[in-house]
Amino acid sequence: MEKKAVIKIDNLVKHFPIRAGVFKRIVGWVKAVDGVSFEVYEGETLGLVGESGCGKTTVGMTLLRLYEPTSGRIIFNDEDTTHYFMNYLKARSYVKRTYIDRFEQLKIDKGAKALDELEGVDRKYYKIFMENGAAGLHKYLLSNLEEKRKQFRQNVQIVFQDPYSSLDPRMRIKNIVAEGVLAHKLVEKSKINDFVGKTLEDVGIISAYMFRFPHEFSGGQRQRIGMARALAMQPKVVIADEAVAALDVSIRSQIINLMEELQDKHRLTYIFISHDLAVVKHISDRVAVMYLGKMVEMASKKELFEDPLHPYTVSLMSAIPIPDPAKKRKKRIILKGDVPSPINPPSGCRFHTRCPVAKPICKEKEPPLVEVKPGHFVACHFPGSLKWKA
Amino acid sequence: MNREPILQVKDLKTYFYTEDGIVKAVDGVSFELYQGETLGIVGESGSGKSVTSLTIMRLLDEKARIEGGEVIFKGKELLKLSEEEMRKIRGNDIAMIFQEPMVALNPVYTIGDQIMEAIILHQKVKESEARKIAIDLLRKVGIPEPEKRVDQYPHQLSGGMRQRAMIAMALSCRPQILIADEPTTALDVTIQAQILELMKELQREYGMALIMITHDMGVIAETADRVAVMYAGKVVEYGTVDEIFKKPKHPYTYALLSSIPRLDVEKQELKSIPGTVPDPLNFPPGCRFHPRCDFAKEECKNIDPELVEVSPGHYTACPFYKVLEGVEVK
Ligand SMILES: Nc1ncnc2c1ncn2[C@@H]1O[C@H](COP(=O)(O)OP(=O)(O)OP(=O)(O)O)[C@@H](O)[C@H]1O
Ligand SMILES: Nc1ncnc2c1ncn2[C@@H]1O[C@H](COP(=O)(O)OP(=O)(O)O)[C@@H](O)[C@H]1O
Ligand code: SF4
Ligand code: SF4
Ligand SMILES: [Mg+2]
Ligand SMILES: [Mg+2]
Repeated sequence: MEKKAVIKIDNLVKHFPIRAGVFKRIVGWVKAVDGVSFEVYEGETLGLVGESGCGKTTVGMTLLRLYEPTSGRIIFNDEDTTHYFMNYLKARSYVKRTYIDRFEQLKIDKGAKALDELEGVDRKYYKIFMENGAAGLHKYLLSNLEEKRKQFRQNVQIVFQDPYSSLDPRMRIKNIVAEGVLAHKLVEKSKINDFVGKTLEDVGIISAYMFRFPHEFSGGQRQRIGMARALAMQPKVVIADEAVAALDVSIRSQIINLMEELQDKHRLTYIFISHDLAVVKHISDRVAVMYLGKMVEMASKKELFEDPLHPYTVSLMSAIPIPDPAKKRKKRIILKGDVPSPINPPSGCRFHTRCPVAKPICKEKEPPLVEVKPGHFVACHFPGSLKWKA
Repeated sequence: MNREPILQVKDLKTYFYTEDGIVKAVDGVSFELYQGETLGIVGESGSGKSVTSLTIMRLLDEKARIEGGEVIFKGKELLKLSEEEMRKIRGNDIAMIFQEPMVALNPVYTIGDQIMEAIILHQKVKESEARKIAIDLLRKVGIPEPEKRVDQYPHQLSGGMRQRAMIAMALSCRPQILIADEPTTALDVTIQAQILELMKELQREYGMALIMITHDMGVIAETADRVAVMYAGKVVEYGTVDEIFKKPKHPYTYALLSSIPRLDVEKQELKSIPGTVPDPLNFPPGCRFHPRCDFAKEECKNIDPELVEVSPGHYTACPFYKVLEGVEVK
């Protein structure tokens, strides 16, 4: 069966300006995300893992359009959504630059045959372009932006790490869960109490609690309420950013189990962001590993944990303490030094300053992300050269 | 074990008198620490780990009252010492490092000044000599270019380096006991691996006894020789690391081990521990774990289980521990 990509991120870049002096001039850039691409398939969980500062949250926030991407495309449900949140002039210029100009040239060079070498939205849009001309494509992409924004907002939801600060302390649970639903007119006002009650029961909160305030709940319960708020929108995709990191060990498994249950019940697609490789391994179908703004490896869970090929992935696995004293005498790979700054990332392969198997070329040339086995992508000049087994 | 313990904690009780009521943060904690070993203390937030260590160090604030118990260090009752005598112990014999080094380090003094102060205070050496010792210590804990770093301020160091600097400070007086309260919780895993390795090396070299406090079962398995498991202000299980992980004798330990996802084992399903971490203002009556315990009986609501030795060196505070016999940790 052909897997359907719900979300596709194409060469996403997000740089944050660093300002200094009285005139707040830009003196540099934090290269938080620097060319990341991945697809998320319908109904699966993609785990996004890496150490702090590697850009996981930035990927999530940019995907949600809480940050405007510096460049790159965000495709949702076979539509480019990148320009949805730009003002009209910017959106127009984006569409012209990304599609119309390119297609004009393609038409001159190859005509209809160009269709064969295009895929995804490019192919879809080129067809429209050939059938309805530049004006037709223009209209297709730029009309009803308001409506498109709304749909996107409804379909992609987020659950945050901190169950304490992510819920407005002055709002009753009912209003927290109902707010977006009413704004999007998903449920009639007269039926809202029933709806909220059912959604809360769904995440294991007694519906009678809907009139309480967030501080009346424990951390785990607040995380359930965060899930309820997201679920109420009937989204396709839920981004969970360190959703269990702040929870106690005994509560963490409750929430992980709940998330898995809700995924099956509502056919949700998850992007599960975490620094905890063991949790990611448990919950994910596929895993993407990030280092300093780059994706260094991506594969199915089984493949990644059985045959990790990037030296950083291997080092990360080796660094995790295993809750089995029989395994403690096993020698670990201890990486030298700290993660370098994303303001001036190392040349070539960004991991070369800490990589135990780096060679001279690693400093010179940046390794591209290559599919070395079906579905297994690695960005390393010498994949598989660092070995370690738990 | 026929060795004499270097530190003995007996039935320690520390309560906080707050506006909302009495917080029985530590409510009957006992353990021993032997020369050169690592004792792990594991528990969830609010279980009383930090308050236990702050009580041993006598670093509690005014709201706190030590309600009972003894802390015996080489025959001396620490809870009875004068503040002056206790200060000497803190500098020379028992040192402590914290989760967030930024809190423990003074932001307005350089790293070097802070380490030198400790050295001058306790070793009676001249300033130039102290500086040399400080630089050597920084080198020893793996800080690159220690000659340069010694004059930097805490905020100029990364989290991992700050933790190294704090370890250097703690080691400056060659303590016999080091208490490490979540020393790696705020760090990334690759940096955590560096710090744990460093602590192991230094412990071997200095022959220190170590109390490793953490909520991470992985860190416990990796570092500890013996383990005390805390729940709601009490030690509920106590034994060697192998026994605790392979043959847990308390339902809480068993549930905890079954609920964590593991890198080395594929678990189809994680065990869910129902309910919430108990509110310390309002601990449940009877066995404090009873509202969440799979094996709870009616009488568990009324008993106050004591920590009892059920096999040599293995203690549990569950009188019904036999229900776990033959039960595998999932
Ligand atoms: N200074 C204080 N004033 C009032 N209550 C306190 C104080 N310090 C600690 N407590 C309370 O004592 C209980 C135990 O605290 P402690 O810090 O020892 O737990 P812990 O197990 O180390 O938790 P964590 O893992 O969150 O640090 C908690 O309920 C805490 O709120
Ligand atoms: N709003 C911002 N302004 C400037 N820099 C930022 C901002 N948000 C994130 N960064 C920087 O971007 C990098 C990646 O951050 P983030 O995505 O938050 O990492 P993670 O979530 O993996 O911990 C870090 O160096 C961080 O300091
Ligand atoms: S490209 Fe070179 S430096 Fe980078 S991970 Fe591979 S071997 Fe190491
Ligand atoms: S005493 Fe009862 S409630 Fe407590 S751990 Fe044992 S069986 Fe469970
Ligand atoms: Mg983050
Ligand atoms: Mg603590």
